[in-house]
Amino acid sequence: MEMKQIYVLAALWLSFVGRISSLSITVNDVECVYEYVFYEGDAISGNFVVVDHDIFWGSDHPGIDFTVSSPGGNVVHNIKGTSGDKFELKAPRSGMYKFCFHNPYSTPETVSFYIHVGHIPNEHDVAKDEHLDPINVKIAELREALESVTAEQKYLRARDNRHRHTNESTRKRVIGYTVGEYLLLAAVSSLQVLYIRRLFSKSVAYNRV
Amino acid sequence: MAPRLNSRAAVAVLLLAMVASLLPAARGIWLSIPSSGTKCVSEEIHSNVVVLADYYVINEEKPEHVPKVSSRVTSPYGTDLHHQENATHGQFAFTTSEAGNYMACFWLDEHQEHVANVSLGLEWKTGIAAKDWDSVAKKEKIEGVELDLKRLEASVESIHQNLIYLKEREAEMREVSEQTNGRVAWFSIMALSVCIAVATFQVWYLTRYFQKKKLI
Repeated sequence: MEMKQIYVLAALWLSFVGRISSLSITVNDVECVYEYVFYEGDAISGNFVVVDHDIFWGSDHPGIDFTVSSPGGNVVHNIKGTSGDKFELKAPRSGMYKFCFHNPYSTPETVSFYIHVGHIPNEHDVAKDEHLDPINVKIAELREALESVTAEQKYLRARDNRHRHTNESTRKRVIGYTVGEYLLLAAVSSLQVLYIRRLFSKSVAYNRV
Repeated sequence: MAPRLNSRAAVAVLLLAMVASLLPAARGIWLSIPSSGTKCVSEEIHSNVVVLADYYVINEEKPEHVPKVSSRVTSPYGTDLHHQENATHGQFAFTTSEAGNYMACFWLDEHQEHVANVSLGLEWKTGIAAKDWDSVAKKEKIEGVELDLKRLEASVESIHQNLIYLKEREAEMREVSEQTNGRVAWFSIMALSVCIAVATFQVWYLTRYFQKKKLI
């Protein structure tokens, strides 16, 4: 099958590009996800958020590193030590791109990510392929714009989840630690009273005190 | 390690993906399955959402010898929604009955030689992306640009629904935050009064004790 036929078939097939939902993956050390980019110049966009779990101390999350590697092996995009970010880049060539999360700490982290590869047929494709109209180009642009809104919403939702987790944890801590504080206070004061009583008891000569 | 796809393998992957997808085509992600242990992906889904997924296995080094994987999909309460052993490709679909974390796990079968670079392609679609547009096109007899515009309209509708959902979640969280804020103030004042009460009790008790002992 020659490349031209594959190209047309792929273009027709891709005219119904679906969406992938935001998946979560647990990163112990390095976890990689691959996605195939069909055309050079496609816009790869996405976001990732580290799902918070109970950190005892630490006002800030340690963060994870994120790298995007091209099919040739060189690193195209690099983000270090964040708890979540968006990224957008233009594919320099077609092929299998690798998206890697690296966790520098020993505790496993769960990362929720969303990657989208968008293709808009340009004038050159319209001229080459008689099945493509200028209106298809406009529809593709519209679809990509809606995709970016959806991606933004997924990012907001993941961050909202993380915030909600922190809030719930704060609520539990406030109640738990306060009740513990009251009980401890009562216990310490009764221990004090008992100790003073012991100091004045008959078994110890109270003249000494 | 990045799978190195030469052009022949790329064509094979493309054709396999096109043939395997009976639904309106979608791109999927590729995961590498470790030779021991499981690879799991999960998603938080709310209730009454259709989930469609499709997976297929590819061996990078030897495309002819395809290893078999087992898969399992669990609901948030632990029940198995899909469990399949020894398959090179498969698909599963379900409608979520409760909101929570749904997890799909894949692992290599033990009774086969260990292979290094096993890639699993997964297409996971939920909600609006899982809608069967072919049947809608046939039923309403629309095609081409009209069908595309209808899909965009459905997409806008789902964006709207998502916004409403986010707004509700934010309202719930704001309530919890304000409640916690009130509680911190109230509990701190109560801590002070507990402290004063306990100190008063101590002084009263010890005064009574020493009076009984005729020390004061």
